[in-house]
Amino acid sequence: MAILDEPIKGLPMAKNYINGEWLESKGEIIDVVNPVTCQPIGRVGISTREEIDAAVKAGQEAYYDWRRTPPVSRCRYLFRMLQLLEDNFEEMSRIQTQEHGKTIDESRGESRRGIENVEVACGIPSLMMGESLEDIASGIDEYLLRVPLGVFGVIGPFNFPFMIPLWSAPYAVATGNTVIIKPSSEVPFSQTKITELAEEAGFPPGVWNMVHGGRTVVNGMLEHPDIQGITFVGSTPVMRDVIYPGCGNTGKRCIAQGGAANILVIMPDCNVDATIPGLLTSFFGNAGQRCLAGQTLVVVGEDNNFYNRFLEKLTDRAKSIIIGNGLDESVQMGPLRDPHKKESVLSFMEVGIKEGATLRLDGRKPKIKGDYPDTCFLGPSILENVHRNMRIVREEIFGPTMGVLRVKTLEEAIEICNESPYHNGHAIFTSSGKNARQFQYDVISGNVGINIGIVAPMAFFPFSGMSGSFMGILHTQGKEAVRFFTESKVCIHRWY
Amino acid sequence: MQLCTTSETISFSRELEEQTAKYYQEVAGKFPEGKDLLSFAEENRKYIIQIQRAYQSVITDAIEGCFAFQLESEDYLIHTDLPAQTTFKEALQQALTVEETMVSFYTTAAEQSMALMADIPRNFKIVAKKRAVRIEKLRALG
Repeated sequence: MAILDEPIKGLPMAKNYINGEWLESKGEIIDVVNPVTCQPIGRVGISTREEIDAAVKAGQEAYYDWRRTPPVSRCRYLFRMLQLLEDNFEEMSRIQTQEHGKTIDESRGESRRGIENVEVACGIPSLMMGESLEDIASGIDEYLLRVPLGVFGVIGPFNFPFMIPLWSAPYAVATGNTVIIKPSSEVPFSQTKITELAEEAGFPPGVWNMVHGGRTVVNGMLEHPDIQGITFVGSTPVMRDVIYPGCGNTGKRCIAQGGAANILVIMPDCNVDATIPGLLTSFFGNAGQRCLAGQTLVVVGEDNNFYNRFLEKLTDRAKSIIIGNGLDESVQMGPLRDPHKKESVLSFMEVGIKEGATLRLDGRKPKIKGDYPDTCFLGPSILENVHRNMRIVREEIFGPTMGVLRVKTLEEAIEICNESPYHNGHAIFTSSGKNARQFQYDVISGNVGINIGIVAPMAFFPFSGMSGSFMGILHTQGKEAVRFFTESKVCIHRWY
Repeated sequence: MQLCTTSETISFSRELEEQTAKYYQEVAGKFPEGKDLLSFAEENRKYIIQIQRAYQSVITDAIEGCFAFQLESEDYLIHTDLPAQTTFKEALQQALTVEETMVSFYTTAAEQSMALMADIPRNFKIVAKKRAVRIEKLRALG
């Protein structure tokens, strides 16, 4: 199979988009590096406080007219954008692969998931409707209106450069707010492309803004009194120590989605052949860099034959995973995003081994398809003899590793899920409805999978999460996003 | 070569369809009694679009797109050369072999991916079923 064409060519500069204008940042300029080749593919500016302030001002000024644009008219912009996203589906997917490293199948999946949010937001005239009741008292009627608030900040992570800002931005603008998106500066080109399409769709200047950068931009958003709320997806420490308290200090609304260390429970009655591909994609897909990736596999029961056969099949499939450039269609797993992330995964593996885990499959020196440096690559690793108190169970690794742990009962497996500091996407694989219900009922997890390895909610459901994985009340996507981006204004009428 | 990812399986199906379409065009151009086979070439192009559309519409972050198949491409190699001395009967026989191979490809691919994503195997099955009808037509022509 041939390697697909790279869409990012000629070291482009990812510019800011403020008030309908493309502006090169006045801040430090850094390289954007393709993790497969380790070569720069473009550049991006680390924007200054003045630049984020300018974007907030633009958003604030555009808000007055945009709020007064009827919802049905605001939707027309989104419908145009939707069409443009479909027209550019393949190019956008390849941009993700080139800047992030994920496989082309994964990028196309990410594109689809992002686009689905624009589709849902196109239904805003229905989704945003309020409520009313006549005669709450004699001759008095009461109405609830959902009204927009102003400027919102959307802070995206590196692992899903295209999709994650779309969990928020389409709903923000559809409900009559304006947005400023801050993509990860490691992967700025996916959002740059989306913003180009937003411009082509004709959003008025100041409605859809994008500012590249790092902490300065984030702090600028948190401290600015004209930003009404922030959605954030990233690490738990940043969520807990920076975003959530920062929003609290300035009275902003906040959706903060953090990390995870998901546990997948295997019952001996599971459909083995159907389960294994689900596990491969959960633990090793996106090189494990998903907040819904499996990290620990808990195999229930004392049947050694089942355990050995299951692990043998799983290991054989994991061993044969093709690692390389995601633009090669035969590749099943790409690199980690950068060498530091690879180092972090390797450190966790070392810790696991020191704490008594044993390597059943060692992915530390992977065979790479094609002539690429191994700087960011790791193969799938499977560690056995893992204990529930080990750091590789309790802390987020964010890499292609699977720790395998054995327990006697489902109750014990659920206990392990519930004692984890993270509760994002635990799952069970079973053919028993009773086991499935018990797991769903007793497990603490924002998203629960039954025979699903990556419990990623569709755009019309909230992307949930609990405790160490989430701070806030409402979630991104669907109706909850509509609630987040609007205030409930209650009006009581009496006419004489 | 083993086909494991959805992307390469879809690309492989497109190559087969394009190769076969070209063959039918050549046969229709060479033999007056085979001019109706041109419609098969047009159908092939529709199948490419149908499958591509299903793929792009249903592939999401949740499906096992990189691990959905274990097909050997060598099992589905087709011969679509048309030497000058080939008779119409021989061309039809070759077409039958091609079509049987493609039915086998789509059927196996559908079976392998059925538990993982509904639309792609469903479309593979539809194309395989239509091809079975095509095989009957080819037999009738011979």
